[in-house]
Amino acid sequence: MILKAEHISKYFHNPKKHRVLNGVSLNAEAGELISIFGESGSGKSTLLYILSTLDMDFEGTLEILGQPTKALSQDGLTDFRNRHIGFVYQSHFLLPEFNVLQNVMLPALKLGEKDNQALREDALSLLDEMGMKTFADRPSYQLSGGQQQRVAIARALINNPVLIVADEPTGNLDQKNSMLIFDLLSQITKERSKTVIMATHNLTIQKKSQRLVEIIDGSIRL
Amino acid sequence: MSKNVFNSVNLFIAFQYLVARKKQSILATLGVLLGVTIFIVMISFMTGVNGFLDDAVFNGSPDIVIHQKPDKVKLKGLFGTKTPVLQQVSDIATSLGRHDNVKGFAQQTLSPAILLSETQQLPVSINGVFPDREYKMVDLERRLVHGDGFESLKDENAILLGVSLAKRLQVFQGDELRMILPNGRNHSLTVSGIFSFGISTIDNLRTYVNANTLQGLLENESGITNIHVKLKDREDLGLKNALLQQYGGIIVDDWMDGNKTIVIGNKVRNVMTWTISFALLLVAGFGIYNIMNITVIQKRKDIAVLKTMGYAGKDLVFIFLAQSFVIGSIGSLLGSFFGYLISYAISLAPLETSDFIIVDTYPITFEVKFYLLGASFGILTSLLAGYFPSKKASRVDPVTIIRDI
Repeated sequence: MILKAEHISKYFHNPKKHRVLNGVSLNAEAGELISIFGESGSGKSTLLYILSTLDMDFEGTLEILGQPTKALSQDGLTDFRNRHIGFVYQSHFLLPEFNVLQNVMLPALKLGEKDNQALREDALSLLDEMGMKTFADRPSYQLSGGQQQRVAIARALINNPVLIVADEPTGNLDQKNSMLIFDLLSQITKERSKTVIMATHNLTIQKKSQRLVEIIDGSIRL
Repeated sequence: MSKNVFNSVNLFIAFQYLVARKKQSILATLGVLLGVTIFIVMISFMTGVNGFLDDAVFNGSPDIVIHQKPDKVKLKGLFGTKTPVLQQVSDIATSLGRHDNVKGFAQQTLSPAILLSETQQLPVSINGVFPDREYKMVDLERRLVHGDGFESLKDENAILLGVSLAKRLQVFQGDELRMILPNGRNHSLTVSGIFSFGISTIDNLRTYVNANTLQGLLENESGITNIHVKLKDREDLGLKNALLQQYGGIIVDDWMDGNKTIVIGNKVRNVMTWTISFALLLVAGFGIYNIMNITVIQKRKDIAVLKTMGYAGKDLVFIFLAQSFVIGSIGSLLGSFFGYLISYAISLAPLETSDFIIVDTYPITFEVKFYLLGASFGILTSLLAGYFPSKKASRVDPVTIIRDI
């Protein structure tokens, strides 16, 4: 079991107390790709932030790799995310001051377990896998949306995390690029046996997803 | 996972940010540069001016003068023409010799007299000095316009004159003067040197002759009338009080009594210099604060991403503080350099003064401590200015930011 979420409830207090999630439970195994869908405001993004440990203000329990996340300190959580969770966002979120290779290396530099040369090779091989190796030395802002998203996936994988969390990864892309990104994510799930949890509006992706979870009004429809 | 925030990765990120925003970084650096440069130039210049004025005034006059309180009864009928002789001279000299703060002291015999040249006659006050003691008290050699200094007074018929006095008497070096003393004795003297302090009261009135000559002429009425004292620490006037307590019937004048305006002038200049310099550094600090603040606001997305990647709040504080530090250090370094260049240029600029023969260029002090002070204030201001934006960066909440996009 990679991820185990039980009875997760979440309240927003602004402008008035309002329940966003209503006792959601969700388990995820290695090699599983889970697509979460639901209308805007259904709470799927909120669930995603909680599952990825970014938002710790919730009721219920969350265990990742058997580790209860609420037991971790702020710094402990930061380190835990760095090591075990990779992120892909709707907007590409590459850092424009860095080139493509440096962007991919940033999480690994923070982890600091390998020397620069080894990291460089890791990053290049990941970029190669994403078909982006030839862009390694380009400034990241010169890339198209689809290209940036592929680099972002490479970046999410660099520390070899168990869990990849993707929030509308194809939200800003055309259908062709969307399918390319989805295929890459499926491939990662199968070949690298990662757990991928993503929120998506894309119907084709929903159809092709191995496991589909619908959120309605803060609850999972079974 | 590196726990220490001071690491090559954070430095690398800070460096990339600095380089990516070249224009702003250079602008912020220029701000610090300007602040530090002006700080250094102003402090060096003001210290130079103060030092020069101190030199001009205090080098020509003693820090403390001890003389006898005039005896009213005795003086009656003498028309006030006699300078009272100092009693207890040897006791006072012993006390001075023992005191820690005394740099040196010299005894003098003062007497009013009339000086006659071929064309003029003027009432003056004659300073009878002991040349081998007096040369330690007054640095006359630097201030000589013509002739020799105290050395020439070993000739018992020599007299040294202030430049304005010489002008009024219409005499030059080597000319003869006749000195008439209150007891009617007169004596022929040769002008052996003419000096200029650039201070009219000295240049107009002061004369030096050998004390032995004067005492010989004054005969039994003569003696030591004044003791001049130079202090190691001019500000410490403890000696004055000690003397007044120990000896009755003496008057002790200190340098502050005679130079209040200069003391106040120095103080005012100091306050102005420091205030303006700090204000400039403050402005530079605001420049950095502004730029860092805008960067943090513009980079909120990137900061959020760095945070989700595993960069902690303290890493971000370091990353932004490091940028401020680099800006502050480079600005301070260049500022010190330009401060030196400008100070040096000013020190070469000719200064036209008619009487101040001891300077011909603008006075500037070169002191390492001003440069260290300017540079450390520059860096400190930068760090302070960068601190609040960097704190702001560390508090960025990734969820709020990512949700908004």
